[in-house]
Amino acid sequence: MDRVDEMLAAHFSVEPAPAELASRIVRRAHDAEREVGRLLDEIEIAATDRGVCLVRAERLAPPPSAKARRLVEQARVELAEYLQGKRTFFAVPVDLSGVPAFQRRVLEVARRIPFGEVRAYAWVAERIRHPRAVRAVGTALGRNPVPLIVPCHRVLRSDGGVGGYLFGTRVKDRLLALERSTPVLEGCTTTRIVCRVGCVHGRHMSPSNRVVFASVADARSVGYRPCKVCRPAAA
Amino acid sequence: MAPDDRALIERVARRDESAFGELVGRYQGRLFTVAHRLLGNRADAEDAVQRAFLNCYLRSDTYDARWQVSTWLYRVLTNVCVDELRRRKTVGFPVETPDAGPIVEKPGQHLDLRRALEKVPTEARLLLALRYVDGLSYGELAKIRGISINTVKSQLARGKSILRKALQ
Repeated sequence: MDRVDEMLAAHFSVEPAPAELASRIVRRAHDAEREVGRLLDEIEIAATDRGVCLVRAERLAPPPSAKARRLVEQARVELAEYLQGKRTFFAVPVDLSGVPAFQRRVLEVARRIPFGEVRAYAWVAERIRHPRAVRAVGTALGRNPVPLIVPCHRVLRSDGGVGGYLFGTRVKDRLLALERSTPVLEGCTTTRIVCRVGCVHGRHMSPSNRVVFASVADARSVGYRPCKVCRPAAA
Repeated sequence: MAPDDRALIERVARRDESAFGELVGRYQGRLFTVAHRLLGNRADAEDAVQRAFLNCYLRSDTYDARWQVSTWLYRVLTNVCVDELRRRKTVGFPVETPDAGPIVEKPGQHLDLRRALEKVPTEARLLLALRYVDGLSYGELAKIRGISINTVKSQLARGKSILRKALQ
């Protein structure tokens, strides 16, 4: 045992954990199960042949065609996976053709905010080259026809306040917490492939074969290669 | 006689809260220490341990009886901690920041070690923490991170080599 070993042993000596941890976790488990289930039950989805055009907590018109119905089904599956912490991106297309040009630009910027990250309304305003239109950006996001899929909940006030949300600020808080606790990169211990969470490859992965990575570079450093389908390095 | 870990997990899968409390009591100290040393502050470490145990509670039915319970718990915890480290690297205005407060030095511990550990890549740092908190074997470390035993050895050697250079 050399000096570094001794220092590491001292540094990593076991320390006491916080009190009443178990009861707090059980409370948190009950809350998590209740809230996710409720949100899933409330959501209705509408689609055109081009993509999902409306997500609301109210009764919507049925899909006009078989293709639109398939898109609604795909969106429902992806949303359920997202709300259960099993998906970090949406593959279903969205149709924003009925949205005014300014709002569309705002939504396109919001759509590119990575999973688990947040931006300020002012940041979005700068990105669309209307730095003074912060309030208009807030209005455009507030009228987002496809919330969750276009992640307007990732836009907050510059002072860190949550701002408004179509489904209420409690749901916005819950979504942000969900994204903070959902990993983005997962590797399969049998195939040694690293994917974005939600990739089709990960769907059949046994929980005991799943390891999370902090970056594609970290995964490579221990012998994993990036998935060619979901391309985690480009995300 | 206290029930063994596997019996506890079976009861947890049936939502037995007293069994869950006992499981948490057995492992919380070691899991908290690993999380604290990796994440650098108590608040994030406590959140990570809660999330790890929460995953175990909600998904205890997916526990594979061929695994040792401790190995399974460490796998779940390291998955949570690694993702937290990823989140810290990303851009955006941070919701919370790592504790920059003073480090309480223990007898025989060098203040520079924590700074030196920051230079060690994530995967190697993780393996060092698991190895020194609980004395886990190379085989257990390999299983926890889904890598080969040779990779475990090379990562640990690389981590220690970086520490030696940084502490010179």
